[in-house]
Amino acid sequence: MAQESLDHLIRTEYAAGFTTDIESDTLPPGLDEEVVAFISSKKNEPDWLRAWRLEAYRGWRQMTEPAWAQVGYPQIDFDAVSYYSSPKAMADRPQSLDEVDPELLATYEKLGIPLHEQEALAGVAVDAVFDSVSVATTFRHKLAEAGVIFCPISEAVQTHPELVRKYLGSVVPPRDNFYAALNSAVFSDGSFVYIPKGVRCPMELSTYFRINEAKTGQFERTLIIADEGSYVSYLEGCTAPMRDENQLHAAVVELVALDNAQIKYSTVQNWYPGDAEGRGGIYNFVTKRGVAHTNAHISWTQVETGSAVTWKYPSVILRGDNSIGEFYSVALTNNFQQADTGTKMIHIGNNTRSTIISKGISAGRSSNAYRGLVRMSPRSSGSRNYTQCDSLLIGDRCAAHTFPYIESRNPSAVVEHEATTSKVSDDQLYLCQQRGIDTEKAVSMIVNGFCKEVFKELPMEFAVEAGKLLEVSLEGSVG
Amino acid sequence: MPDYLAQVLQRHPQNAPPWLDAVHREGRRSCLARTLPTPKTESWKYTSLRALEQDNYAGLPTPAQAPLETHYHIDGFDSYTLVFVNGHFSPALSGNALPEGVELVRFSEADEAQARAIQTRLGEVAQREQSIFTALNESGLQDGVYLRVKPNVRLETPIQVVWLTTPQSEAFTVSQRLLLVMESGSEAELLEYFTSDTTQQNSFTNGITELVLGDNARLQHYRLHTEQEQALHIGGVHASLGRDADLNSFHLATGGALKRIDIVVNHAGPGAHCTLQGVYLLRNKQHVDYHTCIEHRVPHCTTDEVFRGIVGGAARAVFNGRIHIHPNAQKTLAQLSNKNLLTSAQAEVDTKPELEIYADDVQCAHGATVAQLDETSLHYLRTRGLAPEQARVMLSFGFINELLNRIADPAVATHLRPLLSDFFGDGNHLAEPPV
Repeated sequence: MAQESLDHLIRTEYAAGFTTDIESDTLPPGLDEEVVAFISSKKNEPDWLRAWRLEAYRGWRQMTEPAWAQVGYPQIDFDAVSYYSSPKAMADRPQSLDEVDPELLATYEKLGIPLHEQEALAGVAVDAVFDSVSVATTFRHKLAEAGVIFCPISEAVQTHPELVRKYLGSVVPPRDNFYAALNSAVFSDGSFVYIPKGVRCPMELSTYFRINEAKTGQFERTLIIADEGSYVSYLEGCTAPMRDENQLHAAVVELVALDNAQIKYSTVQNWYPGDAEGRGGIYNFVTKRGVAHTNAHISWTQVETGSAVTWKYPSVILRGDNSIGEFYSVALTNNFQQADTGTKMIHIGNNTRSTIISKGISAGRSSNAYRGLVRMSPRSSGSRNYTQCDSLLIGDRCAAHTFPYIESRNPSAVVEHEATTSKVSDDQLYLCQQRGIDTEKAVSMIVNGFCKEVFKELPMEFAVEAGKLLEVSLEGSVG
Repeated sequence: MPDYLAQVLQRHPQNAPPWLDAVHREGRRSCLARTLPTPKTESWKYTSLRALEQDNYAGLPTPAQAPLETHYHIDGFDSYTLVFVNGHFSPALSGNALPEGVELVRFSEADEAQARAIQTRLGEVAQREQSIFTALNESGLQDGVYLRVKPNVRLETPIQVVWLTTPQSEAFTVSQRLLLVMESGSEAELLEYFTSDTTQQNSFTNGITELVLGDNARLQHYRLHTEQEQALHIGGVHASLGRDADLNSFHLATGGALKRIDIVVNHAGPGAHCTLQGVYLLRNKQHVDYHTCIEHRVPHCTTDEVFRGIVGGAARAVFNGRIHIHPNAQKTLAQLSNKNLLTSAQAEVDTKPELEIYADDVQCAHGATVAQLDETSLHYLRTRGLAPEQARVMLSFGFINELLNRIADPAVATHLRPLLSDFFGDGNHLAEPPV
């Protein structure tokens, strides 16, 4: 019976036709156990992973969509989403860039991600994800020399099943929340990174995600394991082309920093935010979480300028003694964008430290909320948290919110939280104008200064991109 | 488990004037349409109503023997005093001459015109639809205080309203209500004292205070909660401020197995100012939850809010301070600070300062800390020859005393200081934190 329905599904997907110039086979919209099984079998996954997906799916069916965030959007019809799509010629995956579909490369060029140049100039290994399946992975050999595993997670399932099985879902359990459960059931692909003991990853790892298929949700799953005493810096950047229809995106990122390891995870997110009237744009519901073991260090840095709706709380569970968690964030919303983002720092080990620096900028008619949790558990002695959330308002129709939850159950823990909200002051603008700087440029300068604390945490090339992004995103919001 | 809500709604308030029937009906109807909040209700996330189900609190309060005056007497605070014992007015304890320019009636003695005035204004700022406990208050109302200060009257004598609870043979719920209307340009000082006389309490107080400040009105308000450990209290203060009105409100809470106070201030006229200060001191298994919400609806208003608490034993303190700036409420200045000293490994502090802002030309800031006494300061005091325990008491008291120093009426501050230092003196909750 299962075989029959699989055949049926395989047949119908061709009936659905192609939506872009690049041919891709796309599953018809809708989600049930058969779709989950189809995705699993399509990827040739072992039984345990199929069972794991189905378990997540059943959990998801029982859950309700969270409604607590300060965002509003039309009800998502999860049965109108297609849960699988892959570039057509997947069976014979290109072995080098020359073999990659030129159309695909051209799209990357437009987005300013010239793979060739990046290989040469930036020294960055790029694992480019076009829709749901990785098509080009570079710098593999150099990394392999260091013993670093950096590959699509679908490949890791085949080549390193023991690692995937051990750590997948160990940080974000399949039934963690509504979107994480959905992702666990249908995740398409994503990155897998393993840094062996004592290895300092020789280069910054980077993945560019891109959404192309209309009506196709993207469900990446990223798993990064830094073994004892290792170090890795991971860059994630996203762009998406103009689309009128809202697109769903529910990713899960899991970080495991074993004893003495350090993971630095940086994100620049500039997916299509919708047009000036609030039409279209990406719905971005992301679960990101890391576990820091003894003396480990996890640092999240994010620059969020895109998406119509952002729902994202990169968190750190400070499980081991002396572990460190950091969260640096710039979230900019313009027009009708809505962002509800922040972090969770769960202090469990002794002498754990966390720092949260969050900068929210709202312009146009957008809404920008910081939502954070700092929890000091009873056995977390001598731990500290420092939180600073600043909001900047540009225009009188935008909104900025701060919802920090602080739960302290240890008398030796120190938690400090500060938040301010203000606008770009007239005095500052006046000063700039006096010196011959026009208003738009002046605002951009002031905003960049406001975000400086976060930008300095970004790797160089990201910091430059981030500054430019803010400028572009703020266009037309002044005057 | 007894269903508290169903039972309490079955009873009918005794000796209530007939015109209150409509209020009871509306309150009951509003309650029946809802259920009691659970930990899944966002604003009740950290406060459980389990205590309410541990005894059958659905009993009716009956007039009780008047206890001694000493509990609430404030030296040098020469006030006009009204005392209610378990919700029933106690003429023997109340007294002094009513100051000029004030209309002060109890609901039970209101004449037809006054009853009409009360009916019109009751629930104007404390809306039953906003909280089930406001609705519950209305459903069980047997008496209350209506106080109106006439335009441009400046009251020299403060008004004190004492809400006392004393044990009864069966546990009971008492609804207490105060409605203060200050006409434009008036000035007054009002002190509310919620207290109980013995440690064996079986009362649940549901006290709602409404403060309506007209244009240019000024009010110095205190709400002190020193009820004993077994007493439960869920209630709140709801205020509305007219143009250039000024509200200064001081709150204190000690003890209580369950204490939840909602403070809602509505800036309804431009230029209004609100100073809100609060202190909570907890030990044993006490639970205090302050939820404040400042609504800035109009431009040019200012808010200055400071809450501080010391939490020891196995107690739990909850603070939620929300500042909501509506669109058009430009030129708002709002500040909120919540500092907590957590002194025991079994205690817990949950704090959430919130900002919700829909206007750009505003300056808002909030801060929250949960920490312990500064080691350097402790060390300094010890080098000056103080025992560690003494040093702790001194610093803890200093932490609270900073707020007491800001109290406008010296008599109140003088009254509170020994009361609070007693709290520290017992040393119980200020024990060395485990290293």
